[in-house]
Amino acid sequence: MGGGISGISAALDLAAAGQHVHLVDNGFDLGGIVARLDKYYPTDHCAFCTLWAEIRRCKENPSIFVHTLARVESLEKNHHVFQAVILKLAPVIDPELCIFCGRCKDACPRGAARPIWEHAYPPFYIIDRDRCGDCRSCADVCPTKAIDFDREEARFQVPVDEVIWSAGFSEVSLEPLKEYGWGTHPDIMTSLEFEAWKAEAGENRGTILRHSNKAVPRNIAFIQCAGARDLKFLPHCSAVCCMHALKQAQWVRRRNPAIDCVILYTDLRTVGRDYYGYAIRAIEGKGVRAVRGRPSLIYPLPGSDGIAVKFEDTLTQTREIWKFDMVILNGNLQPTIPALPRGYAVPTLATEGRVTRLFESYGHIMTPAHVTESAVHASSAALRSIMEGKK
Amino acid sequence: MPKVTVFLCDCFGEIGKVIDLESIRKRFNADPAVDGVTITESLCLASDVERALSAIHDRGIGKVLIGACSPYGRMEFVRLGLVKKGAELRHVRTVDLREGCAWIHRKDPEGAFRKAASQLDMELALLQNMQDSKDITVRLQQETLVIGAGPAGLSAACGLARLGFRVHLVERGSAPGGLLNIISQAYPGGESGSEKIGLRLEEVSRNHHISFYGKTRVVSVKGQAGDFKVTLAGPEGKTGLRVGAIVLATGARILFPQGLHGYGKLKNVITQMEMERQFSTGKPACRTAVFIQCVGARNIDRPYCSTICCPLSLKNAMRIIDEIPGAKAYVLHRDIMTPGSILEAYYRKALEKGVQFIRFDAARPPGVLGEGQVGEVQVFDAISGVTRTIETDLVVLSTPLIADPESAALARMLEIPVDKYGFFAEVYPNHPVETLNDGIFICGTARWPVSSDQAIAQGEAAAMKAASFLGKKMVSALAMSRMPDQKVGHASVNSDACTGCGNCMAVCPYGACRLQRMGNRSVSRVIKIRCKACGNCVSVCPNGAMQMPELNDRAVCQMIRRAFREVR
Repeated sequence: MGGGISGISAALDLAAAGQHVHLVDNGFDLGGIVARLDKYYPTDHCAFCTLWAEIRRCKENPSIFVHTLARVESLEKNHHVFQAVILKLAPVIDPELCIFCGRCKDACPRGAARPIWEHAYPPFYIIDRDRCGDCRSCADVCPTKAIDFDREEARFQVPVDEVIWSAGFSEVSLEPLKEYGWGTHPDIMTSLEFEAWKAEAGENRGTILRHSNKAVPRNIAFIQCAGARDLKFLPHCSAVCCMHALKQAQWVRRRNPAIDCVILYTDLRTVGRDYYGYAIRAIEGKGVRAVRGRPSLIYPLPGSDGIAVKFEDTLTQTREIWKFDMVILNGNLQPTIPALPRGYAVPTLATEGRVTRLFESYGHIMTPAHVTESAVHASSAALRSIMEGKK
Repeated sequence: MPKVTVFLCDCFGEIGKVIDLESIRKRFNADPAVDGVTITESLCLASDVERALSAIHDRGIGKVLIGACSPYGRMEFVRLGLVKKGAELRHVRTVDLREGCAWIHRKDPEGAFRKAASQLDMELALLQNMQDSKDITVRLQQETLVIGAGPAGLSAACGLARLGFRVHLVERGSAPGGLLNIISQAYPGGESGSEKIGLRLEEVSRNHHISFYGKTRVVSVKGQAGDFKVTLAGPEGKTGLRVGAIVLATGARILFPQGLHGYGKLKNVITQMEMERQFSTGKPACRTAVFIQCVGARNIDRPYCSTICCPLSLKNAMRIIDEIPGAKAYVLHRDIMTPGSILEAYYRKALEKGVQFIRFDAARPPGVLGEGQVGEVQVFDAISGVTRTIETDLVVLSTPLIADPESAALARMLEIPVDKYGFFAEVYPNHPVETLNDGIFICGTARWPVSSDQAIAQGEAAAMKAASFLGKKMVSALAMSRMPDQKVGHASVNSDACTGCGNCMAVCPYGACRLQRMGNRSVSRVIKIRCKACGNCVSVCPNGAMQMPELNDRAVCQMIRRAFREVR
């Protein structure tokens, strides 16, 4: 359940060990969050490229049944076998048939047809149902008849021996935390929004621009722990944000050294192979500034004059109000926890063997995890589920 | 020489609206090497491949050249579709006419045509001059070797044994357990080391698939993935093994902080591990304990975070408070490294228990003062900006895990790289337990400092990867590729032309080139299972003795010639 980096890794391992796997993902394609990222730490490579081969391996493997746009509706255990009911929504554009010619995009009067991700390969178009006016002019121009508005969703039941939950994390809206000002100004973005905005294949072809007026920003603030490590909101640490912010900040500096990048952090958590070295290279080598402080208030200034960030630099004990052209909020990530029957819990690393097992879980859902850890958890969960089956 | 069948995909007009496919067809039809050119409306939809093939099917599929869209897109599935119909993957070449020619040169149809024709021409030359690598198939030994019996090694051994593989578990110490033997309690669960791995220890002694070799070292490893010949040296002399895969779980050492913060000079300045020993046998006698983090880590010598020291200090600080009535604990830290939900909750618990946290600046490390015995610790509190003096009778230094001194020799023996700190390096972050040398897997603190939970998970991951590799039973050299399909071929040596200079050995990242005695001279030999067809060796060979048959010199020269031939 979940076709991100963990789900893909586990499915491939299980298939290699001779198991049959149903890989269920609610997105248009496999890949999860990593496929959406423009860059990937610590290598700064294209994130999708690293995953591309693996996504294809999943699709080509005769033992892996990939269900995209699907979710598991119910799961019941009977005599050691789960009956999983999978609901597969029908895409308007069949990815198997879409050749990415773009005629639907040209025909759509409301801009509802768009590529799934600019940098994904093989690419295909999807219809954004929120924007779609149902004129169906796209269906007429599609040369391969990939577009059909009347496809029906399918519901089917599969018996499975083991369930592995790898739904990863989802973003939590920062709207309730008024002090961060998210939603009040287009230049206040979450880090995943910014990742898509600054993407090499994105709207601006990698040029770093302000979201509001497409001017080159003079400076960008990266706010860490926005919503996280906060007893009022998300008490946990999202683990990946420090490296994510360092990655974005150093990339911005690499793209345009004139842009000043400031990371406002509490603890700069760089736990992983050479992550601390990565931080040092970003700070000392690329001139990213790391300031220890947590903003008390972020608010847009009148006109397009920028965003004010009020905080205390806790290492110099000075109160500051700095003006930034863009503010990137980092930390609002929450594991996608399934609704479980009573008496069950999602196992975490810390509770190995002490909870009533229903699922193996891994990846970000177990504890917020980097790609490397997620891949480790995935293989480990794959092994455990095979061992469970052999008992 | 078999002729080449050419398919040109129009992609519903996407290509044809810019490039005149009919002229291209005429051009290639005239070429004697070409056996018919077919223009199709599409190639990648359901029955397209079959329809296209029906024209040539009675003759069987030889070499195929396709002009269509990007090879990174749907073309890969078309190639695989052709393979299912009997083609050889390396005999199916594609040229990117859509993204690479028609779309990007939309405004210059003339140029797009020239580019398309040139590229098709080049690939045709390649297909004509391509030779075939001789593939070999090897049987994979179904036994495995696990080096190191700490938490990672134990979990790898148990995992492999449960999946039915015979496991040889080698430990240089006398008993299994690794670093967990020193630790009184694991964080964050609070189990003792033996509780943590108890079930696995029991399994090692009980499961007849596992042979445990105590006080034993690996002295030599020869061979390659699927068939390693290993020699062990133990109390009973030397043992020879043949194993299909090796899991490296040799662990790490802990930095000894001689001379730092008064260690060795002042009594009651101890390391975290000495504190663990004190807790194992009883409890330390102290009223106030001061933990100093990042001793010898995150500095110029060792610019990395050792991961486990912050949670270990949290654990021991909480134990001091819990077990010694009225005692106080201070943690002097730089950044508290407790990422994630579990460790962050652990940190919060320590705060609630009254552990005092003082952040210091790396440039102004804490001073440990006293004569013969610790009296006080002076620290500049970076958050309040004042220097604080803490009276204390115990200072605990958190030193990082460092690469084991034997790691370097092992890495050379197994031909895998180490990172700049001496830990074993993985092939890519997505593949955290695999190494550049297939069949060798790394886990635990030998790979990078990790908690015992993570080490166990990595051990299992390594077992899974080893099992899925060995589970194939037989493997062909061409299939030993990290990419979805097979590799193009492997390098091969013309022994008559080889002078044995060893250049190829020096540049091969996979250890695939070897010098071998032949008569009275040495010549290079390629281990096909290891070769990844990167071509490094071919480019450095001064005599042209090293060749990639699929991309041999003749083929490449022909391609270059055609690239510069005028297209009319």
